[in-house]
Amino acid sequence: MKASRAGQAFFALAIVMVALWSLAPFLWQFITSIKSPEEVIAVPPTYWPSKPSLSSYVQIFKTRPMFATYILNSLIVALGTTAVCTVFGTLAAYAFSRLKLPGSGVVVNAIMVIALFPATLLVVPLKQLIMGAGLLNNPWALILSYSALNLPFSIWVLMTFFKQIPMDIEEAAQVDGFTRWGLLWKIIFPLSAPAVATTAILIFIFSWNEFLLALTFISRDAARTVPVGIALLSGVTVYEVPWDQISAAVVMTTLPVVAMVLLFQRRIIEGLTAGAVKG
Amino acid sequence: MSNKLKMLLAFSLALLPAAGCKKSSSASGKTVIRYLANPDVGGFAKEIIKQFEAAYPDLEVEMVEGPSSPNTREDMYAQSFMSKEDTYDLVYMDVVWMPKFAAQGWLKPLDEQFTADLQKDFLAGDIEGSKYQGKTYRLPIQSDGGMLYYRKDLLESKGLKPPQTWDELLAAAKALQKPPELWGFVFQGKQYEGLVCDFLELVWGNGGTLVDAAGEVQIDKPQAVQALQWMVDAVHKDKIAPEGVLTFQEEEARHMFQEGKAVFMRNWPYAWNLLQGDKSPVKGKVGILPMVHGKLGKSAATLGGWGYGISAYSKHPDAAWKFVEFNGRPEIQKLAFLKGGIIPTRKALFADPDVLKVSPHMKQWGVVLSGAHPRPVHPSWARMSDVLQLHVSAALSRQETAQAALAAAAAEIRIVLKNSPQK
Amino acid sequence: MKRPAGAAGSIQWLYAAPALLLMGLVSVVPIGQTFTMAGGFDRIGGDATLWRVLRNTGFFTFWTVSLELVLGLAIAMLLTRPFPGRGFVRAAVLIPWALPTAIMAMAWRWIFNSEYGVMGDLLFKLHLVASPNIPWLAAPGPAMFACIFADVWKTTPFMAILLMSGLAAIPKDLYEAAGIDGAGPVKQFFIITWPMLKPTIALAVLFRAIQSFGVFDLIYVLTGGGPGGRTQTIALYIYDIVFRYQEMAYGCAVTLVMAGCLCLFAGGLFLLLRPRSA
Repeated sequence: MKASRAGQAFFALAIVMVALWSLAPFLWQFITSIKSPEEVIAVPPTYWPSKPSLSSYVQIFKTRPMFATYILNSLIVALGTTAVCTVFGTLAAYAFSRLKLPGSGVVVNAIMVIALFPATLLVVPLKQLIMGAGLLNNPWALILSYSALNLPFSIWVLMTFFKQIPMDIEEAAQVDGFTRWGLLWKIIFPLSAPAVATTAILIFIFSWNEFLLALTFISRDAARTVPVGIALLSGVTVYEVPWDQISAAVVMTTLPVVAMVLLFQRRIIEGLTAGAVKG
Repeated sequence: MSNKLKMLLAFSLALLPAAGCKKSSSASGKTVIRYLANPDVGGFAKEIIKQFEAAYPDLEVEMVEGPSSPNTREDMYAQSFMSKEDTYDLVYMDVVWMPKFAAQGWLKPLDEQFTADLQKDFLAGDIEGSKYQGKTYRLPIQSDGGMLYYRKDLLESKGLKPPQTWDELLAAAKALQKPPELWGFVFQGKQYEGLVCDFLELVWGNGGTLVDAAGEVQIDKPQAVQALQWMVDAVHKDKIAPEGVLTFQEEEARHMFQEGKAVFMRNWPYAWNLLQGDKSPVKGKVGILPMVHGKLGKSAATLGGWGYGISAYSKHPDAAWKFVEFNGRPEIQKLAFLKGGIIPTRKALFADPDVLKVSPHMKQWGVVLSGAHPRPVHPSWARMSDVLQLHVSAALSRQETAQAALAAAAAEIRIVLKNSPQK
Repeated sequence: MKRPAGAAGSIQWLYAAPALLLMGLVSVVPIGQTFTMAGGFDRIGGDATLWRVLRNTGFFTFWTVSLELVLGLAIAMLLTRPFPGRGFVRAAVLIPWALPTAIMAMAWRWIFNSEYGVMGDLLFKLHLVASPNIPWLAAPGPAMFACIFADVWKTTPFMAILLMSGLAAIPKDLYEAAGIDGAGPVKQFFIITWPMLKPTIALAVLFRAIQSFGVFDLIYVLTGGGPGGRTQTIALYIYDIVFRYQEMAYGCAVTLVMAGCLCLFAGGLFLLLRPRSA
């Protein structure tokens, strides 16, 4: 495609605008977080701090001693979900895509339809169920719920990848005397490692971010996850917890996700595309 | 499977057992009593806990400092009780939560320990606000009622009299204000419980009410419509209040007033000590008055107030009661007042010489508080309040006229009352 | 692959069993329970709040999805062209999607703060508003605008990614052929891109609309549903009914109303956008 000089300039400008638009809110939190508490409430706002300082990153742990616990809880829940969901999802995707199960098509379609509906619809009865099981305030309540909610997506992504593995590999392996389990473990898994990794990344991000279930299933402060812990600060006035500290908390909790996106950009796009386009 | 993933898996499985443990007794073997409260700004609550733990060496009190928004804390308590958990032994609660919590069976009646004889020493309104269907569910430790703060120095500079009525406040505010540096009037205009308190004070102050003695909804009557209209005009027509007041809770209003940016402020008694603090720019320049009233009524205050109840799920109700009782003692109430500006609930303290030395107007406060109006004691209050908040807020942001807002609110509250399981 | 069916077939189901069991427990059982727990259907007609939140939710859904579609399409078309640094820009575009909504809602609260917020200041410096102090979250119009703005920022990347994959699937020679026939870029868009992309768009819109209709965390943190209930959505209302008013049965009834709306909507969209060529 031949483009004029003006066209190219316009294109470049548009790209810069898009990148800026995407990053601006995060950057603004970062800028706010390195301001002094006085400069945070300067009118009009300053666009770069006069004396940048990282003290708010220390202060937030003092004003909100539970903050470190929230982060740990979020890590436990996100990693636990990733583990459960990847293992269950891989096994199920393998069963649905590689083994000729009678009736699996109907089951898969039913799973996908259920997955369409937002979790909002499930919260109330699910809470009753979890209460009955005595799992409230237990990370397992979140791990199991998140796993179940993310399983349809994971199964679908993994299925699309598994289907790309040629069948003759399995047939050759069977000739070589592999058991079905050995085949899965030694041949299929290694071959689909990139797909499993992609799924794991996406599940981690989903569970790190989840809010509604974490808000309703966890009422004990010591068991809260980070999104809820920070959102409950929304009731505070500017005077109790200065915004430089809240911003520091926001930056710290979003940083892992930002890092994951920068590192695994291709994977994430592949996974989302596979998971959604054919859903 | 990639190595990275294996590591992730191993790490996550190793972490799992660490989570979810909880303590109900501390490492030293003491019984722990836990409750959720607002942030302890002045540090007096911690002081009281220290004294309590010194008096009862086998008990330990854990105060969880929650969000300052009472609605959020109410939800946090409710969530915990819905799960029948013993997270909180004590419930530090607003007077309006009690009927709902009691109706759900979340609170332990206190009549055995908090006998009628002991109750006689407390302000009548606070005791009335502690009872639901004949049983007592909380021990009041903080009286509250809305009042009007004003800048004595500014009014005197123009030779103005402290206002008694809406019109007088309006005239004084207009004469003195220089927006945006100095506004006439600030109040709590955000859509939350405080807005209902502010609004009902004006309604009662104009001879109206929300629900009358016969249980009929009266909030669409002219007395109430005039009250709402006055509030709306204060922001939009007379412009004595900044539009930002629609986001204000107590602290926003208090900061604006304390920075010298407002002539009048509606707020609770807690603001007094802070305004008179050594760092306060308005120290010594502030006066208080009963809230201004309309043509059809006389000054009124909304009864607020906080107290301790005991959770029905607590494993240590007796230990919890010890802390409740301790907080109700005269010397502790006095400490809470002197250090934290917490208005006591014991009648005798309103005539106490130490208290009067710090706050000579305590006698008047006692009068204001004993005549304060309670909001309806009803298990569906949260829903009634939400309806009111919504329509009053809609009127303040001019989506609805005062008349239409209150007509809609009245209709919706009638349905709430009809659907309510308990009357 | 030849294998005897029967015994082996049922063993194969074991691979799927953990996942199916968990999904059944967490998704299917609660759906059934909602029906058994629901009550108070006679109140729905007279529930003014319910009708108001449905209007709000519909408004929010319509505008977020429409804006996301337009912006997402623009971004997708930009990012399918190769240019230096494309990897970084793609990652940057993904970031809003990946960040936790509830936490970013706190960030937006600060950006939209009426006194210290940067949004008011920016618009003021650009001479678009008369005063930098805009009560964003206190006035009904601006509050809804803020919610829509934050949601569009958050979910446009998702839309863009889906559309990018759709664009990638369009054969390049179609454009070349059209170019030879003298069709300009605008005409090319309408005769090639749009019709070829329509199935992807339908799917993306369906996905996003359902999610948007169930929005909770963003609004819960950003405005709490205020002012005057103008930004209260049906998910926030259900939360209030169940956890604030303690009316479990009615909460389930309203949940069913919401599910019904979603089914109607999904069905309608399917009829409207189903591929006619096939």
